[in-house]
Amino acid sequence: MLLEVVQAVVTGLLVGFTFAVLAVGFSLIWGTTGVVNIAHPAFAVLAAFLALLASRRWGIDPIATLVGLVPLFFALGVVLHEALIKVAAKRTRELGLASMIFTFGLASFMENGMAYVWGPGPRVLNTAYTGTAAQVLGVSVPLPHLYGALLGVATIGVLYGFLYHTFPGKAVRAVWQQRDGAALCGIPLHRVTALAYGLSIASAAVAGVAMGLIYSFYPAGYMVWLINVFLIVIVGGVGSLLGAAAAGLLVGLVSSLSVLVIPFVWTNLALFALLILVLLIRPSGLLKR
Amino acid sequence: MIGRHDGRYVTGVLVACAFLPLLRPQEYVLTFLYNLFSYAAMASAWNILGGLAGYLSFGHVAFFGCGAYVTGLMLVRWGWSPLATAPLGGLAAAMLALVAGYPTLRLRGPYFTVVTVVMVLAVKIVVLNVPWTGAAMGLWMPFPPWDPFVSRVIFYEAVLVILLATLLGVRWVLHSKFGFGLRTIREDEDAAAAIGVPAFRLKLGALLLSAFVCGMVGAVHGHDRSYLHPDFMFDLHPSIMIVLMALFGGRDHWLGPLIGAVAVMIADELLTVYVGTEAARMLFGLLLIVVIVFLPAGVISLRVRRQPKPVPAGRGLMMP
Repeated sequence: MLLEVVQAVVTGLLVGFTFAVLAVGFSLIWGTTGVVNIAHPAFAVLAAFLALLASRRWGIDPIATLVGLVPLFFALGVVLHEALIKVAAKRTRELGLASMIFTFGLASFMENGMAYVWGPGPRVLNTAYTGTAAQVLGVSVPLPHLYGALLGVATIGVLYGFLYHTFPGKAVRAVWQQRDGAALCGIPLHRVTALAYGLSIASAAVAGVAMGLIYSFYPAGYMVWLINVFLIVIVGGVGSLLGAAAAGLLVGLVSSLSVLVIPFVWTNLALFALLILVLLIRPSGLLKR
Repeated sequence: MIGRHDGRYVTGVLVACAFLPLLRPQEYVLTFLYNLFSYAAMASAWNILGGLAGYLSFGHVAFFGCGAYVTGLMLVRWGWSPLATAPLGGLAAAMLALVAGYPTLRLRGPYFTVVTVVMVLAVKIVVLNVPWTGAAMGLWMPFPPWDPFVSRVIFYEAVLVILLATLLGVRWVLHSKFGFGLRTIREDEDAAAAIGVPAFRLKLGALLLSAFVCGMVGAVHGHDRSYLHPDFMFDLHPSIMIVLMALFGGRDHWLGPLIGAVAVMIADELLTVYVGTEAARMLFGLLLIVVIVFLPAGVISLRVRRQPKPVPAGRGLMMP
């Protein structure tokens, strides 16, 4: 039993890091512009599909495709900001609510576009190490999970370094904390938010590949990922990078530990219950200072 | 306000539609109108909560599915006809709305919306894994005991009655204190509460009312299909369609969602036939973006008397 628990903790933590990456980008956009980007996990699914395609085509590891995917998705994020968010913000009064509708439209567009091109069925990123595991002190560490988690840690690390130790990163955080104040200090809001969108969607690409290593993905599957992401952002507090990372680990732990107690099919229900509980008890986030 | 008599004309046309089957039209026509009326009823019902109170719900398909499953189970287990038990299906949907809404209607904006999505996924998981509901096998119901044309007509008339009742209900809501209360909640909930609008009670009432209608429509649809499966009874796509219809038509008039339903259903029919389902759904996604960005008050606003321009967004409104 003890071994099983340790095993579940290890898997949960590894999975948690990949979820955390997905949540960090979502939180970044929500924090800087108040936009709840429902299409965020759809971008991750798109990245997983593209990684699958590229790795099959050129016979390379899906992780290697990130070299091309990250700049591509950064550009996509900037385009999303310039073409849609800026226009919408000018024309609607309540951007938070409106954004939930039109990003839902965008997500639906992307989902059906992917289903149109690649079919609605589930796919996996097959690699040389799929299904293999390293044995550490009797606990097996599945390699895809490990690599996914390492990708997650690296991305969160890079984002942290950028946001806390570079000048443009500090500008993003300033906008995150106090939009008008940041503008008064001479921060170019448009460029900074465009940067935030680029970073957010680029991190979604990393998350998509990392999660594609672990889970099967399909066009309509972004919805369940979205709920997980939302849960993480709520638990961690909107606009907190390390909060999101910690909450990602927590959610990973809950979902892997709950398998020990309740049948697998009910684990999502346990997460939903957790989400609603957190919302009711402390909607501003459990881990936020 | 649109033209003063427009409402009367539309009601007249709908009442005339009740006599359409006497002309023995093709079944295709009846099926198309049947789908149109059901969507229009659900969009109008959604509008009470989503349009008036501004509480965005993507979860109304759960009420639809709940009504279908509850009445379907009553038919399979006890042999009660869903046409008779449709109000019970509506009540069951309202019960679901009460259970889901009572704790969560205190949440606002995106928090509430995500809870509605969670509700759909949760109900789907429950139905998929409880054997009594037919689970992943789906629920097979006995066929309606009439010949095909007669059963078409019966289902058609049933949703038409639901639609007319819903439209009149929404019209009443719009002009009542209830409706004004809901709109003040949309504009500024704290201010509304401060002047004594019982915000929570009104929101809950709006949610229950709209869930009830969706449950009734679901009951009729379930009986018509004779086979229920969680994958398509709790599919999120109809929710997108409902939201799109209500917003496209216009949320501040009782005819808005109906107009939206007519436009979207015709477009859907043409697109599905000529370019395929996925492409059609892609276009609807795009349409949702265009509508919310460029026509937030709906096409009905094109007939509206010139209104003062909306106040430019001010402090704290997060302009990127």
